[in-house]
Amino acid sequence: MVEFKDVSVTYNSSGVDALNKVNLKINDGDFAFVVGPSGAGKSTLIKLVLKEIDATSGTVIVNGFNLKKLRRGKIPALRRTIGVVFQDFRLIPTMTVYENVAFVLRVIDAPAKYIRSRVPYVISLVGLSEKAKCYPTELSGGEQQRVALARALVNDPQLIIADEPTGNIDPALSYEIVELLKGINECGTTILMVTHEHDLVRYFGGRIININKGSIDFDEVIGGSSNESK
Amino acid sequence: MKASSFRYLVDQGFKGIWKNRMMTFASFCILLVSLLMVGISVLTAINLNRIIGGIEDKSEVVVIVKDEATAEQKTELEKQLKSIPNVNTIELYTKEEAWENMLESMTDEEKDFFRYADDNPLPDTYKLTVNDIEIMSDTTTQIETFENVESTQSPTAFADILINIRRIFTVVAFAIILALVVVSLIIISNTTRASVFARRKEINIMKYVGATNAFIRIPFFVEGMIVGVAAALCALLLTRFAYEGIYNIFSDNFNIWSILGMQKLYSFNDLLLPVTLSYLVAGALIGAIGTSISTGKHLKV
Repeated sequence: MVEFKDVSVTYNSSGVDALNKVNLKINDGDFAFVVGPSGAGKSTLIKLVLKEIDATSGTVIVNGFNLKKLRRGKIPALRRTIGVVFQDFRLIPTMTVYENVAFVLRVIDAPAKYIRSRVPYVISLVGLSEKAKCYPTELSGGEQQRVALARALVNDPQLIIADEPTGNIDPALSYEIVELLKGINECGTTILMVTHEHDLVRYFGGRIININKGSIDFDEVIGGSSNESK
Repeated sequence: MKASSFRYLVDQGFKGIWKNRMMTFASFCILLVSLLMVGISVLTAINLNRIIGGIEDKSEVVVIVKDEATAEQKTELEKQLKSIPNVNTIELYTKEEAWENMLESMTDEEKDFFRYADDNPLPDTYKLTVNDIEIMSDTTTQIETFENVESTQSPTAFADILINIRRIFTVVAFAIILALVVVSLIIISNTTRASVFARRKEINIMKYVGATNAFIRIPFFVEGMIVGVAAALCALLLTRFAYEGIYNIFSDNFNIWSILGMQKLYSFNDLLLPVTLSYLVAGALIGAIGTSISTGKHLKV
């Protein structure tokens, strides 16, 4: 669960108010699109959830962690409950697909036996079993993003944040990625997806949170055209 | 942390060396030069200290006993001399021995002249060596207060020169070694910073997936330590080669040096264990700490 209570963020260096008294609650199992123009505050929202930055005022609660009170040493514990998918994939180029995914489990000190069974399973979920030994540079953009998705998923996080996950891939593949995220969500994982692609949002529908000039000006559930076509 | 995770991180450290071999080689070379400079400075300092110490040990205080002192009084004086904490060794040089030695150094004509002398005019003397040359003049002053001491002779001016040389040398050697260690740390830190900078994305990803700082640091730490140990072993071989060359030159001409009261240099085998340990510990620490310093900056995500 993610909860923002009267959260404001002002960047000291520029004096810009990135978020202004934002109140938001994303329940466990929700799938929410976060949309809005550039500079609206979407990235700030994600940085707050990951505790990359601290709120200037207000309270942020993520998966039971009150981020205001969270000590620096406990940040890894918070982040282990979150899977992150970035626009630029952020895979480690010197590691194979398998190693990139297994890496997350090694970070959380998972038993070797569990890693050996869990990683191939997750890689198969994103349809890349045959490319497990490939390096990221040998994969297409869509495939790299699926690896990133597998990496975000492998430690069974409570929340997955997808920050413009379709921004660097072909439009056709974008739908595949969101389909995968939807599938993950159906298994109970909360998904927070930031996107600029309105077509995608209109197609899938669901909860839409529109941020503009640091405030939420729209937070509603809309029906998607994919549902209509079904 | 589980043993398997630790093994994985150590393994990553080894892999990192190969993956970043150019930067690793640069770090290795810089560390090698730094260790050599520090090592040679320390060895020079140790040996110069020994040489000066050798000269100091040869510095004697001569105590001239009053001619009229009886045998009991002389025994009493010897006891008093032995009770002085700074006195290391005492050797009695009797007036008879002195007389014999003096005659030996004379020509036959001179000997004939003195052989018929009525009395031996030379005094009994004690030759003392001291533990601490720095308080030699205090010791002689104290001895002069004893009964039956005619006078004392000691090379206090020479001792003062030695003391000053030793002091200046100790300060200069310490400053040079300290400066070299600091410079080595800075250079290693900067060299590895470039290596760490190249892997900043990797570190960034590690942070996002919940890696602790220790988890991120260990492979870099291992990498730095391995480079440090390799540089230390190489420095040890080079130092041995250079040291033995200098030692042999010094030993071949030892007769000249011994006239000046100098002792032999330490042989490399005498110093092998401390030098090996110092190189290994210094190499591993400088490598590991230098790398850790550079990694720290990228951990604040």
